[in-house]
Amino acid sequence: MEPIYCTVLPGSPDELGVPPEADKTKHKQSLAIEELLSTERGYLNMIQLCAVDIRNRLKQKQLPDFDLEGLFANIDDVIDVSSKLLYQLELMDTENPQYLQALSDTFLSMRSELENTYKEYCASYSNILILEARYREREELDKAIQETITIQRIARYQLLLQTILKNTEPSHPAYRSLQATVDSTVALNSNINEYKRLKEVADKYNKPENLTLMDKIYRINTHSIAKKTARLSQMLKHEAGFLPKTEDKEFDALEEYFLALERGVADLQDNVSTFVKHFEEFLSRRPHECELDIETEVAFRNYKELSAILHKHIYPKYMHRLKSLVLQPLCSLQELFACPQNMIRKRLHKLLDFEKIEEKRRETGSITYEEQEAANTYQAINTLLLTEMPKFNGMATQLLIRAMETFIFIQRDFAADVNHIASGYLQHLPHNKLPDYTFWSWAEGMFLKEAKSLQQISQTFEAELNPHFILPLTPSSQRRLSELTKRYKSEQIYQASSDIKGGRDMDLSLSRGELVAVIQEMDTKGDKRRWLVEAGGNRGYVPASRINPYHPTGQTASPSPAIVDEASKRHSVVVVSPAIESPVLPSLQVFAAYDFSARSIHEVSLRAGELVTVLEHHDRQGNPQWTLVEVQGQKGYVPSNYLMVVPVPGISASSRKT
Amino acid sequence: MSWIPFKNNNPKKQIISKTVERDFEREYEKLQKLEDQTKKLHKDMKKSTEADTAMSKAAVKISSDLLSNPLCEQDPQFLKSMTALDTAMRRMDAFNQEKVNQIQKTVIEPLKKFSSVFPSLNMAVKRREQTLQDYKRLQSKVEKYEEKEKTGPTMVKLHQAREELRPVREDFEAKNKQLLEEMPKFYHSRIDYFQPSFEALIRAQVAYFTEMHKIFGELTEQIDQPGLTDEQRERDNEARLSELKALSIVADD
Repeated sequence: MEPIYCTVLPGSPDELGVPPEADKTKHKQSLAIEELLSTERGYLNMIQLCAVDIRNRLKQKQLPDFDLEGLFANIDDVIDVSSKLLYQLELMDTENPQYLQALSDTFLSMRSELENTYKEYCASYSNILILEARYREREELDKAIQETITIQRIARYQLLLQTILKNTEPSHPAYRSLQATVDSTVALNSNINEYKRLKEVADKYNKPENLTLMDKIYRINTHSIAKKTARLSQMLKHEAGFLPKTEDKEFDALEEYFLALERGVADLQDNVSTFVKHFEEFLSRRPHECELDIETEVAFRNYKELSAILHKHIYPKYMHRLKSLVLQPLCSLQELFACPQNMIRKRLHKLLDFEKIEEKRRETGSITYEEQEAANTYQAINTLLLTEMPKFNGMATQLLIRAMETFIFIQRDFAADVNHIASGYLQHLPHNKLPDYTFWSWAEGMFLKEAKSLQQISQTFEAELNPHFILPLTPSSQRRLSELTKRYKSEQIYQASSDIKGGRDMDLSLSRGELVAVIQEMDTKGDKRRWLVEAGGNRGYVPASRINPYHPTGQTASPSPAIVDEASKRHSVVVVSPAIESPVLPSLQVFAAYDFSARSIHEVSLRAGELVTVLEHHDRQGNPQWTLVEVQGQKGYVPSNYLMVVPVPGISASSRKT
Repeated sequence: MSWIPFKNNNPKKQIISKTVERDFEREYEKLQKLEDQTKKLHKDMKKSTEADTAMSKAAVKISSDLLSNPLCEQDPQFLKSMTALDTAMRRMDAFNQEKVNQIQKTVIEPLKKFSSVFPSLNMAVKRREQTLQDYKRLQSKVEKYEEKEKTGPTMVKLHQAREELRPVREDFEAKNKQLLEEMPKFYHSRIDYFQPSFEALIRAQVAYFTEMHKIFGELTEQIDQPGLTDEQRERDNEARLSELKALSIVADD
């Protein structure tokens, strides 16, 4: 603690030969002025030493994780301000009668600079202390930084000036200025203190606490329970109407606006985010990269080139602008709402406390120290919010509006970019001269027409599905056929084109060439690929694709034992049928195709593979279904379709007679 | 490997020449690739237009949410701006819907119709293959009988086999001929078929973006701020955010 007076001057006032009272004051005044100046010099030296010397040393040590900025705060600004002040004060000789006026003027002119600089430093003071303590513990700091002298200095101005004033005659010309100066330093100090307090309150209450459940449980004690109960009861009294709510229209308006703004920013950020996401999905699809092997086609070529350029350059640029100029700022803005929101909540809690305290004060006239503190806290938060919320609301609204304006500009630019490129490609299209309405009618008309030709093409391919041939029948098949035709229409008769092995429960197994009658063209579940058929008394399901309609036609050259159905000739696909060969050509021979047992004296028996001689191609009544043959020396009638004509090379007609 | 029983012996006589078979394979492969690509294009176009529609709806939500925000009641200028924006977004959505409809009719549906031919084609090719197998089998059978001693029963069997073979051969030849004719025709038809689609795509985009440029251009004229560069905008945003962060009620992390 420096003494106010340096040394006691040698000699008594009498020696100096000045009138005792007036001289004493004048003397004290000079001393006070001197003190102001010399202490300032000393102070400036000290802080410069601190800032320059200690800081450099610490910097050289290069300690990791060392918050040099936090430790020294804005000491440089303090040094600047102090130097400036000292310079001004030393400009004039202290003996100069004008000096006091100059002194006052200096202080008044530098008032705001002093206030702002020291305000910041004092607000950072607690942080500096914390850091210093931490580093001293870690033995990274060996000496105290003496930051206290800065704190004390700003307060000292007030005292020093007051001393000077005390020792100045009210009649002195500079008296009033000096008075004003003193008043201003008083105000200055009070402002600095207030600022410091508010900052501390803000720091304490604005951070939303991330407490674990355990933390929260530990916090519960009688005190906190009492506190929360009191608040709750206060709130209930408000809601029930027992107590009038402390209405602060100004605050309520600010809060309402704040909440609306918060909702607006949150929604906007969300919606823009969704918008961008869909655009990214759009961008991931590249239809223009299909390979239809039509590179030579003009329209496709243009489309492909255009799309490639859009995907490569225009779309990414658009996306980037959206993200960096709209989405990113919105996200950052949204994050800033959390702390003020928390503070508003705390304010409400503190308000409830405050109301109770005020009630108590009214009733009992006195409140405890803690209660006064709580009341002050409420006032501090309230003031802080009232001061700063308008600024917050205003600036955040500005950002919101800016974001929307930017979005609009980006959309316009994007449209301009796409149009610029796309119109170029449009010029190359065959029908570009057509006005829009005509083009669309033409295009739609084209496709309706094309739909018809496509259908025809499909049908062409599908027509292959009905093979136009039938497999020759065995006698058992023939019997089956006559059996089925008794009960079913000929359209229902189908033939298996291959062996069918039934797999499931109700499936039938068929052999190739077997005849069936189709009862239903789908199964019980409606599956049209499984048909219900009857085969020789058995009913079951077979795959539809493996059976074909049995349309016996006269196409096949072999006189197969099939009932000629004239009507089915229409269904056959045209194939040039070979001419039915006459069985009596010299190079052809007739054989029995199957065994046949004669059932009357007019008939003759056959063995499959026997050579026969045909005598007549019909019976007595002219029925071509019976042929008169001679075999093994016997003559008689046999069914015509049991005979087969075989071209036999190398056998002359003359050797036929056996 | 004679212990492996072959179901169909490969006939000694060559049924179809290697060149013809190769030609067939080549044509069919081209069509198979076309089938894949048209399916892929169809899917891409569908998903693309779906995303486009979703985007447009999201844009409308941007403006409608803001318009329903209480801020509009507080600030008449804000209300005016948001109303103008909302109108613009809704108009754009209408144009987008129109664009999507046009694409639906001139690109997506035609693609689907074109693709619907392929199942019939594939079935026809399969049937040809089945017939070919039958043909080969019967051919072997005939050849087998031809090599045997010429007895009566053999002759009959040979004759029967030949009779069985003939219609199958004719059937195969008919199928083969038809496919060899129709496949290239169908493949070639794609060029003219798709030409209007690609024209339509370009035209639809130009129409849409022309409107978009007009509508948003009108909006920008209502904004007092002159056009800034992107860097200016970024700096502006940064400055405002910093100002906000400097407030005590906003924590500084």
